[in-house]
Amino acid sequence: MNWEFIEKYLPMYREAAVLTVVIGSIGIAFAILIGLICAMVLYHKVPVAKHIVNGYVELSRNTPLLAQLFFLYYGFPKIGINLNAELCGVAGLAFLGGSYMSEAFRSGLEAVDKIQEESALSLGMTKYQVMKYVVLPEAISISIPAFIANIIFLLKETSVFSAISLMDLMFTAKDLIGLYYKTTESLFLLVIFYLLIILPVSVIGSLVERRLRYAGFGN
Amino acid sequence: MKKLLAILLTGILAVGITACGNSAETASAKSEGYRTLDEIKESGTINIGVFSDKNPFGYVDENGTYQGYDVYFAERIGEDLGVEVNFVSTEAANRIEYLQTGKVDIILANFTVTDERKEEVDFALPYMNVALGVVSREDNEITSLDNWNKDDSIIVISGTTAETYLIENYPDIPLQKFDSYATAKEAFENGTSVAWENDNTEVIAFSLQNEGYTVGIPSLGSNDTIAPAVTKGNATLLDWINNEIEGLAAEKFFHADYEATLTDTYGSDYEESLVVEGGKTN
Repeated sequence: MNWEFIEKYLPMYREAAVLTVVIGSIGIAFAILIGLICAMVLYHKVPVAKHIVNGYVELSRNTPLLAQLFFLYYGFPKIGINLNAELCGVAGLAFLGGSYMSEAFRSGLEAVDKIQEESALSLGMTKYQVMKYVVLPEAISISIPAFIANIIFLLKETSVFSAISLMDLMFTAKDLIGLYYKTTESLFLLVIFYLLIILPVSVIGSLVERRLRYAGFGN
Repeated sequence: MKKLLAILLTGILAVGITACGNSAETASAKSEGYRTLDEIKESGTINIGVFSDKNPFGYVDENGTYQGYDVYFAERIGEDLGVEVNFVSTEAANRIEYLQTGKVDIILANFTVTDERKEEVDFALPYMNVALGVVSREDNEITSLDNWNKDDSIIVISGTTAETYLIENYPDIPLQKFDSYATAKEAFENGTSVAWENDNTEVIAFSLQNEGYTVGIPSLGSNDTIAPAVTKGNATLLDWINNEIEGLAAEKFFHADYEATLTDTYGSDYEESLVVEGGKTN
């Protein structure tokens, strides 16, 4: 293990980690937003829109992120839409993550007992209030584990960004191996940095999960 | 929280120890990571790493067969060794890795000889000349890398001499890095960057094959050579390749190779400057 090499290229990894985290978080934020909207559409069985959402979910969940990124980055310019690599990364993550998040929220919404909604309605709450104060909080609490798993999954998916020339952690490691042939050191740093990014998410995730497990009767 | 921290630290430590262990073992692993000439002959197949997307040097044609200047030579090696050739598709950045981990016996992927690479692998005699070149659009021709506009980037392929050259000599020029020839070309055509720097053979081929492009800088950096590479220490295979290259000079093999694979792209203008016969450069 060549520690000088590690010291010298640590800043490069730090830069790559920032890029991974920034693009990852923005992409995931959009994915959550898309997921919420899609889940609402599916839950309320909005005519027409629900078919569009269903189509989107199937398309996005059954194609790899790599293929989606290639489409965005190399395909879209052919029809006159030029997105830079960062934007493609965010859009790709949002597109892929949106469907996973939607499914997580939808299963949460469907798991909330009908009696909860009916009771709230009989108490004189409006439909909007029922959704906001009763159904949604319970649904979110139920879907937290799936939700955290999706965030971790999406963060790991950023490793295919190298295909669209984004200098993320994976590409930085590959690049350094190609340039200086220090395989062990480059891969060591790669693993450490992924752990540094993803372990906290998973630790915080399980804490949040424990705190929020109050949905349903009797808890 | 303490417990979590402990788990975290143990994890990192474990990775560290494993990684350290690996580097200590690499020396011994490396010497066993290759197959000798006899072992290759015995097995009946030789694994040769070539490009699958670098037309006209190593690429896969529409029928799914490997073609190109490097491939032509690889097939001759297989023929003269009396073994089948198993082509292994490589990317620029993993050529050395493939040799060191024994995934291939020979790299014939347009591999430029450099001092740094010589420390990692053993190069045989050269079979081609090369320098770097820069291709740009005709309406925005780049003829010099000095006074670079910081908003523009140059496309390079990760792990190539082109990348090393720019990092060492023009560290301020923003690089747009790609991991394969196919994606780099696609992005360049889409207008991602103003220029693409690569082996001059490659950029000349690109400008000849695509309308609207011109090679504003035809020769950059030092004049280098391209040679087959084997795993460090694989002397029996190295000697055999060197004898082969010297022996092939009598029949002007690499001229025939050029005529069969490169004339369509370059015409005959570059034949004398590109081909190295018998491993002898002038």
